[in-house]
Amino acid sequence: MGYTIAEKILARASGQKTVRAGDELRVRPDFVIAYDFPGYTDVIFRQMEDEFGIERVADPQRFALFIDHMVPATTTQEEELHEITRSWGAKNDVPVYEGKGIGHQVAAELGYATPGAFVLHFDGHISQLGTFGTLAIGVRRHLLEAFVKERIKFKVPETTRIDLTGRLQPGVTARDVFHHIVRVLGPRACRGTVMELGGDAISAMSLESRQTITCLAMFTGAITAIINPDEKALDYIRPRQRLDIAPLSSDPDAVYAARHTIDVTALEPVAVIPPSPANTRDLSEVAGTEVQVGYLGSCASGRVEDLALAADVLEGRKVKDGFKLYVIPTSKEIMEKAAEQGILTRLIAAGAFVSSSSCDYCFGRMGVMRTGQRAVSTGTLNVRGRMGSPDSEIFIVNAAAVAAAAIEGRITDPRPYLTGAGHGA
Amino acid sequence: MALENLCGRVAWIFEDEDFDVDQIVGVKNIKIKDPAELGRLCLSAEDPDFAQKVMPGDLLIGNHNFGYGHPHYPPMIGMRHLGIAGVIAESFAPGYWRGEIAMGFPQVVCPGILGAVSRWDEIEVDWAAGRLRNITTKTELPIEPLSEGDRQMLEAGGIVGYLHARDREEAET
Repeated sequence: MGYTIAEKILARASGQKTVRAGDELRVRPDFVIAYDFPGYTDVIFRQMEDEFGIERVADPQRFALFIDHMVPATTTQEEELHEITRSWGAKNDVPVYEGKGIGHQVAAELGYATPGAFVLHFDGHISQLGTFGTLAIGVRRHLLEAFVKERIKFKVPETTRIDLTGRLQPGVTARDVFHHIVRVLGPRACRGTVMELGGDAISAMSLESRQTITCLAMFTGAITAIINPDEKALDYIRPRQRLDIAPLSSDPDAVYAARHTIDVTALEPVAVIPPSPANTRDLSEVAGTEVQVGYLGSCASGRVEDLALAADVLEGRKVKDGFKLYVIPTSKEIMEKAAEQGILTRLIAAGAFVSSSSCDYCFGRMGVMRTGQRAVSTGTLNVRGRMGSPDSEIFIVNAAAVAAAAIEGRITDPRPYLTGAGHGA
Repeated sequence: MALENLCGRVAWIFEDEDFDVDQIVGVKNIKIKDPAELGRLCLSAEDPDFAQKVMPGDLLIGNHNFGYGHPHYPPMIGMRHLGIAGVIAESFAPGYWRGEIAMGFPQVVCPGILGAVSRWDEIEVDWAAGRLRNITTKTELPIEPLSEGDRQMLEAGGIVGYLHARDREEAET
């Protein structure tokens, strides 16, 4: 029997010829990544020195730090935390990336998403590096092991294979596809396993769309997501990749914990109903719900195609009076592309508030809601209080639906706006 | 070093599948750091006297995929402050599991647990025997074994102790 891409990557990273799901290994992560956040990086830096006497990491280029939360700083404590990160990076020769955008996206732009590499972070949304055939896992405070030891103990996970077939209708995006997977297979369909995606619908998708889906893997219970790298992925990442290793792919006869096939042809725009990421419905079921805030951004969505789609919906129209539409491109590189293509100009003309990349709108540090308000959002999560008051609500929808709601002040199907048959347009 | 058995009363049963642990203290309190304050907030919306009723060693019971979502540490920091000694569930969300094991907080997978206990039953987790015993009802269920890494992490009381143990192990070899 053959091997999954996850098994092959962990075999490579542990120096073994082959490994199987269930094996407990000592694995050397190719890259160890973190963003600075109180209780994580500051604690790790302190414990390394106080508990383990490590004043400098042995191989600084294996590490990368991002400053993307609490950007820009609004308190002196936040700025002091960033300074701890900068000075630790300088002392250790570890690169600290600041002002470049959300780290999970920038890690791809900077080539940490090397196909065949094994990457650790504390945050699970690093799973999106799987778009490029990288096995990237968020291990929370267990990350300390990778800062203290060259190798970590790691149990090879099983893999759940999901094939997406068929063709998406206009106005239906990868964001809808991911939440549809949760709706069809359930919030624990991939629990404890790697979600491996394939099929002709994945092949047809842009890399940005694949990043959206792999980013959100945790809401299927998966520990990460991965896609066997095709030419589209390799063409993007080859000039950027940081390690000279051969890409790996699952064997046709690889052993999976389960296999599922989902046809996306008939899929309509969805809405994820508060307060759970497990609660996917057709958007039409909540159409008409009044909303006052829109957020287009995050590590899941907010890339060029999302911004362009929203600009298309808003073309020649205005954000409704009193509605707050926050558009925060996922990275500086994406923001520059969107500016070059005139997308930002169109969004600004329609009345969007457009700002430089930051994680802060996703977790209620910026653009917060008061009691009783409702948002449409492309952020990662819709739990109670995520974007402000515990008595505010978040409906997760695709980028086009955020823009359509901004026009009408209520949740609405964005597709008529894209075909020129907009309601009251 | 062997893991000590968990022995205590069922202090709470989380009946919801895919339970988001942040709800234990409420999302609005998730940035609180003081363990005593977090302890007072634990389940206070569901049972205002919860903090007073808990005794050291008591245990929590969860349904499938316990810890789903974006789990944060404060709820279980509060629970540990009250003396809660571990969580036993039908199954766990992997991010929650890994995070709490790294804190040295015992988590036990026990298929069938939800139908096998009532609140305040006396139960025991016998790691060596691989059994969960309900002392009150005199029934028992098998528990799933821990991986070697998770067992070592719990034996060492969490990630820092575990890494010191690795240091000692590597110095000997």
